[in-house]
Amino acid sequence: MSPGMRLPRLFRTTPFRLTLLFLALFGAAASAFLAYIYVATAGEATRRTDQDITREMSSLIAAYDRAGVDAVNQSLIERAASERPFLYLLMKPDGTRISGSIAESPLEDINAVPARASFSVTDLDAQGRPIKHPARGFQEHLKGGEILFVGADVSEDQAYVGKIVNALRGAGTLVVVLGLLGGVLVSRNVSRSMAGLTDVVAAVRNGDLGARAKVRGTRDEFDELAEGLNEMLDRLERSMAGHRHAGDAIAHDLRSPLTRLRARLEVAYLDVEAGKGDPEQALGQALEDTDGVLKTFGAVLAIARLQAAGSAPDQILFDPAQLAADIAELYEPLCEDAGLDFKAEMAEGLQARGNQEFLAQALANLLDNAVKYTPSGGAIMLRVRRRSSGEIEFSITDTGPGVPEEDRPRVVERFVRLENSRSQPGAGLGLSLVGAVAEAHGGRLELAEGPGKVGEIGPGLRVALILPRAG
Amino acid sequence: MRILIVEDDLEAAEAMDRGLTEGGHACVRAADGEAGLTAARGGEFDVMIVDRMMPKMDGVTLVETIRREGDQTPVLFLSALGEINDRVAGLQAGGDDYLVKPYAFAELSARVQALSRRRETGSVQTLLRVGELEMDLIGRSVHRQGKEIDLQPREFQLLEFLMRHAGQSVTRTMLLEKVWEYHFDPQTNVIDVHVSRLRSKIDKGFDRAMLQTVRGAGYRLEP
Repeated sequence: MSPGMRLPRLFRTTPFRLTLLFLALFGAAASAFLAYIYVATAGEATRRTDQDITREMSSLIAAYDRAGVDAVNQSLIERAASERPFLYLLMKPDGTRISGSIAESPLEDINAVPARASFSVTDLDAQGRPIKHPARGFQEHLKGGEILFVGADVSEDQAYVGKIVNALRGAGTLVVVLGLLGGVLVSRNVSRSMAGLTDVVAAVRNGDLGARAKVRGTRDEFDELAEGLNEMLDRLERSMAGHRHAGDAIAHDLRSPLTRLRARLEVAYLDVEAGKGDPEQALGQALEDTDGVLKTFGAVLAIARLQAAGSAPDQILFDPAQLAADIAELYEPLCEDAGLDFKAEMAEGLQARGNQEFLAQALANLLDNAVKYTPSGGAIMLRVRRRSSGEIEFSITDTGPGVPEEDRPRVVERFVRLENSRSQPGAGLGLSLVGAVAEAHGGRLELAEGPGKVGEIGPGLRVALILPRAG
Repeated sequence: MRILIVEDDLEAAEAMDRGLTEGGHACVRAADGEAGLTAARGGEFDVMIVDRMMPKMDGVTLVETIRREGDQTPVLFLSALGEINDRVAGLQAGGDDYLVKPYAFAELSARVQALSRRRETGSVQTLLRVGELEMDLIGRSVHRQGKEIDLQPREFQLLEFLMRHAGQSVTRTMLLEKVWEYHFDPQTNVIDVHVSRLRSKIDKGFDRAMLQTVRGAGYRLEP
């Protein structure tokens, strides 16, 4: 079928088809009901007329049996003056008229008895114009061979039936018209609601992830569907953006260390070729550089995965003080060896939710930084407490040079290392990973000044990893 | 030691084979999971090195299969998947250790050594003895030449691990994983500091240093 031959779009919609189905069912029910009304009213009128005719016929036959043709004639004369005149015709056995109010039998076969007939009689109206009335009746043979026909004018009955039929026809038409109209309205309404959703799906299929369905605020199932669709698309878009961002970040973050590694290998190769360098030392350096690149790769991948996942996997309820105490135990000797005074202060009975592996790594990164940047003779403090807001705060304070306020937002970005820390080893990913871990737990990272500047020492740095309240 | 290497990366397998063979081991290689299963069923191995993702049959299925068949040969999983849940899945399948790619050969070699020793010490020991060192696992005490050495709980765990792998190189990552149960790489030499503290306790005042640093690898406790 060519598209042009198809039904208009509206008539192909599910609601319209459903409407037609319901209309058919309702129409059948209404027809049955109307048919009953017709039989109960119009049929009843006809039946009553027939009964009247039969009764009249019986009484005339009784009169004939009693006193012969003359009695019948007498009765006919009497009845012609009555209120509701029947139509009579008394005939000889050969069909010639003896008496009566109609000229001839409406029945063609005068011998057929009992035979019914529907016919019409002509009457004159008030202006003397002939008008036809519908009538019905039947004939019987009398004992002497005469034929008696009794009928009745049924124009009143017919008018009554006609009215009923007209009313029924009107009602039927109304049912169909209203049903169709309702179907069209419902279909158009539903179609319009569906069209919005279908458009969004089509747009997304064509690559526009930003398309969103309109929520009309009617709180119906279409709104529900639109909201669900939008939420799904939001998530999809975030996830896609996360993956794209992760890919870009990995490419960007690895290009420079790999370029550096390649340059060093090239220089070493040229040196060895010229007989200047020591091949063993060059290879050793290359291995060390590769390890550095791999370490960076690992860190970048971990950050990218956390950012792409949106939230850290395998989160459970745990005691933050225990987590911090374990890390403190690992780092305390290192601090001591570096000539740093290490203190840990943990609030008891706290509960946090998170991935302990990631959080331990975050704290380890922060302590690594603190140890690296705090000059000998300084101090480092690890603290766990609950804020008045219910949030759990891990903080590490050192007495190192700190980070100037204007640089604080920047140091959390990947690879940012401040000028005066270039001499320290490290790829500059430590704080970024901590930031990513905090975000993956719905928390955040806060950088502030440490204990302040005292002579050559300080002002120090205070880094707080804040987790939302558990439960 | 007989080692089965099941790895579809032929170059990586070749490098492992060469290194381990130079270390005095006999290696058999299989390039996919099904070949690995056939080899594992056919021969007695001391350790199996199994890559997790391989054609035909993945490493987890391979190890699950041989474990069901009653084969208890220690398995070291190799994998590019390093997240905790991947690690847990590998260990649940019946792996004994898990090494994330890329790795240094020294790390692999140390872990293979550690796994081979595991099988020899089948029965539960209450006393560990390495040269002059004695560790009472129930009394939680350590003696060298009869002289008691006072250790912190973590130092005790560290020494226990080193004694159980006496004569073998153990890496810093292994110590961090097995003694502290952390699976990340610290940027600083935290482990070195702990080891040097332990060393000053068990070696100071004695004629010979038992706890030695192995360049490029880690540490070794010499009997």
